[in-house]
Amino acid sequence: MTTTRRSVLAGAALAASFALQPAFAQAPTEIELFFPVPVDGQLARDMATLIKEFNEKNPTIKATPVYTGSYDETLIKTRAAMKAGKPPAAVIMSANFLLDLKIEGEIQSMDALIKADGKTNDQFMGQFFDALHGNAVLDRQVYGVPFHNSTPLLYVNTDHLKEAGLDPDKLPANWEELVTTAKKLTKRDGDRVTRWGMMMPSNYDYGGWILQALTQSNGGEWFNVNYGGEVYYDTPSMLGALTFWSDLVTKHKVHPAGVQAGGAVSGAFLAGQTSMMLLSTGSLTHIRNNAKFPYKVAFVPKNVRNAVPIGGASLVIPTGVEGERRKAAWTLINWMTAPEKSAWWSRATGYFAPNKAAYDTPEMKEFIAKNPDAGIAVKQLDVAKPWFATYKTVPVRKAIEDELAAVLSAKKTPKEALVAAQKQADEIMRPFVEQTALKLPTN
Amino acid sequence: MAQAVLTVGKAKTWSVPDWRPRRTTVLAFALLAPSLLFLALFTYWPVVQVLWQSLHGQVRVGGPQAYVGAQNFLKLFADPAFRKALANNLVYALGTVIPSLVLALGFAMALARSSRVNALFRALFFLPVLIPLVAAASIFLFLFLPNIGLIDYHLAKLAISGPNWLGDPDVALWSIMALTVWKNAGYYMLFFLAGLQAVPADAYEAAILDGAGPWQRLRYVTLPYLKPTIGFVLVIGLLNVVTQVDHVFVLTKGGPSDSTNLLLFYVYQQAVENYDAGRAAAGTLVMLALLLVVTASSLRTLERSFGEKDA
Amino acid sequence: MSAASISQASTGVSTGEISPKLGYAATLLVAALWMVPFLWMLVAAFNPENTGAGMASLVPSYIPTLANFREAWASADFPRYGLNTTIISLGILAVQIVTITLAGYAFARLEFPGRTLCFYLFLLQLMLAPVVLIVPNLTTIAKLGLYDSLLGVMAPYFASAFGTFLMRQAFMAIPRELEDAALIDGASVFQRIGFIYLPLAKPSLVAFSIVSVTAHWNEFLWPLMVINSPDLRPLTVGLASFTRGAEGAQAWGVIAAGTLLVSAPLLIAFALFQRAFVNSFVSSGIK
Repeated sequence: MTTTRRSVLAGAALAASFALQPAFAQAPTEIELFFPVPVDGQLARDMATLIKEFNEKNPTIKATPVYTGSYDETLIKTRAAMKAGKPPAAVIMSANFLLDLKIEGEIQSMDALIKADGKTNDQFMGQFFDALHGNAVLDRQVYGVPFHNSTPLLYVNTDHLKEAGLDPDKLPANWEELVTTAKKLTKRDGDRVTRWGMMMPSNYDYGGWILQALTQSNGGEWFNVNYGGEVYYDTPSMLGALTFWSDLVTKHKVHPAGVQAGGAVSGAFLAGQTSMMLLSTGSLTHIRNNAKFPYKVAFVPKNVRNAVPIGGASLVIPTGVEGERRKAAWTLINWMTAPEKSAWWSRATGYFAPNKAAYDTPEMKEFIAKNPDAGIAVKQLDVAKPWFATYKTVPVRKAIEDELAAVLSAKKTPKEALVAAQKQADEIMRPFVEQTALKLPTN
Repeated sequence: MAQAVLTVGKAKTWSVPDWRPRRTTVLAFALLAPSLLFLALFTYWPVVQVLWQSLHGQVRVGGPQAYVGAQNFLKLFADPAFRKALANNLVYALGTVIPSLVLALGFAMALARSSRVNALFRALFFLPVLIPLVAAASIFLFLFLPNIGLIDYHLAKLAISGPNWLGDPDVALWSIMALTVWKNAGYYMLFFLAGLQAVPADAYEAAILDGAGPWQRLRYVTLPYLKPTIGFVLVIGLLNVVTQVDHVFVLTKGGPSDSTNLLLFYVYQQAVENYDAGRAAAGTLVMLALLLVVTASSLRTLERSFGEKDA
Repeated sequence: MSAASISQASTGVSTGEISPKLGYAATLLVAALWMVPFLWMLVAAFNPENTGAGMASLVPSYIPTLANFREAWASADFPRYGLNTTIISLGILAVQIVTITLAGYAFARLEFPGRTLCFYLFLLQLMLAPVVLIVPNLTTIAKLGLYDSLLGVMAPYFASAFGTFLMRQAFMAIPRELEDAALIDGASVFQRIGFIYLPLAKPSLVAFSIVSVTAHWNEFLWPLMVINSPDLRPLTVGLASFTRGAEGAQAWGVIAAGTLLVSAPLLIAFALFQRAFVNSFVSSGIK
């Protein structure tokens, strides 16, 4: 197809689609930011406000925020835009997709940009919490800048604790206490449960993350942090974690059977239909604004040690974004992750601010003093570890999530499930493994 | 310009030589051209691309596409998730098309007569057709929500605890099917309403004179007249169950444990989650082959509906 | 008129039979069931609560509020999205009417070599829904420079096999004599189509328009893929921006209000014209 023909068609499309905008003598660099909406529509507006402010402060750049759905859909849309030859200048990408995107050559290293600012990678990443480095720095190169992050958190309805004669200041800290508390909190009417003691989300994406939290609390690792071709599904730490979850359902009967979606879990908690839940810190603001009862939050209870995976998203620059657009994207990324903006976004959402300096701002200090629950969420960062990320993260994650669903529906024993998940995950990662760890010098 | 007019004029008056396309042929293709252009761009050409892609795949991770022969198909059929999706689609097709059809026929027969009340009820059954499938799915997400959702809330008042509608692998597909029936029955009802107009009133009168009861009239008068409509709706319904998966996208994403995974959703997963364009293309072709079988086996019905043969 | 007498009339006879009455009663019962999701949507949309246990009630026990509508309205630029959706649906329909009328006439009235082949080529599209071919179609759209434009959303639907066959069938039912008379008067083929065939095929055209506009008004996945610019988003994609958060909980009242807002134009149009709608469908001769 010739250029003329293409431009004619494009011109026709333009004219047909929307009114022509006035042309400026010196047009600002136009960039798009793809972003998922983490909780609700309010945040989409907050994002628009944020970008508007950026455009006012940076007249040479015109950034457009583009809402792209959930985390998974944002990945899909980014790839679609790249295939169409129109990569967005920057994307807020789920933090555990970065490794896969790097392996497929779809995002670019930011080392040169950092160097041009006169910093080393360590200096640059030093502004963010250590727990976040594992999902952003790959093979010693920076591929993502943490934007908003989360960890799983235990939420407890303290009214229910009091009602059951338990001390509302003493929340379960280990699995033993979790089970005994959940048993006391569960209410039954004959065989029918009218209130659950505990709920944990197990839908795609959420289930894997929660299971990772349980596994890590059980001393496990889930995946090889340094190598994208290994997961440790069929291991004792994971078997313990999965059995624990399964026991809550089938043995102790304090947790409903089958898959529970994240929204269903928070909905049940807010409606007083479950007394405790494990949910993202990213839901903290939503719970705070909607709970009509006193609640408290605590670290994810441990069996062997306190440990949780991080969640949330990082800013990335897709491959193919060059020149002025890349520079503009970099300006935007730095602006959005600076302490004040980071702190503001954190207060709006409940996610914690990845930039450590955000917590030194006066507004943030005041906010934490007023909302101690937000403070506990941040403290848990000390024990946070990288989120699982492998070659083809999504299908590898799905392999275990499908088995998790089978266990929670009493279709399989935890051991059977883990063996099957391991086999499937190994099969998915095999091309990568054969090309890396198993590829040996022949002469 | 004058020359052109002259040429056309000549072609009109002269007898047409055998090798030259006849005027009506030129006219026919001129009339078909706009459609054929768009069909070529957005139907035939993509199929060619899918055919090519089904024989290619990434041999090196992150590398270019290379010829891999039948490997994509072998891997496809070896994938338990694909076989599961295939089986699910079969259950889904039977479990949605037949109930929708029966309900639609029932609605149409009950509301066949034009009256204000009937018009209201027809409209009522048609409402679900008018709202976007994504939006309907959002509403049903709440209906099926465990504990606090619409269904469980009302069941709890009767002291019954319902199953985990979307979270139990044994139940989830049936919940999805309920939504599909709700969404589509009203649409098919319109076709039956149209079809019922073709049943002559004296056919009923004759049947009544013969002493036929209502069920006999249904069996021997209504159904035979409606045969083409039933065939047509059947085909439309079968095409719908393969090509519409927005609600799976919103409600379950194919889970739990692939229990609601349907072919198109599987293909979509392969393309965007597994990032395996080759296997996705192979899956698309299998799906197209199935659609082809559905359409081919009902070709006579379609031809009759669109009047190719009996015209 | 009582329900029973309608049911008898609907079968074309008036007898004392019991089955048709039962059938009619059952239909009304099912209709009540069919209404439940809509009823909930209405009750929830005006509910001042958003997340509590009482969200599931079908009997409003609150002072109605417009807060959910305000929230939904502010979450998305509905007038703009509505305009985009209208442009997409009507734009597709406009082009389709031209393509299906021309092609329908060719199939209905012209004998030409390759007619059967063409018929099957068209038939192929009935099963090759663009959604099945989303990946290659996206590449084509991008190559044509239509990525992220409303035209890009519309283009794959410009040809319609369903519409073509519908028009063909309608045209075949029109007596040839009418056309022959016009031919003697020297009317061109376009004049004949425009002044004889189209007016007489109106019921089919209206029926097709309903099917087409409904389908494209409600489409989600394809525009989600093609459109990036917020200014070009259609309603369905805009709706998804607050019904489908990535993490956390749903605000059900806002979802219900938003769904109502998005569905309202079609629902109102249908409520106003529904008798004409249904009648045109009934008399279009789709069978």
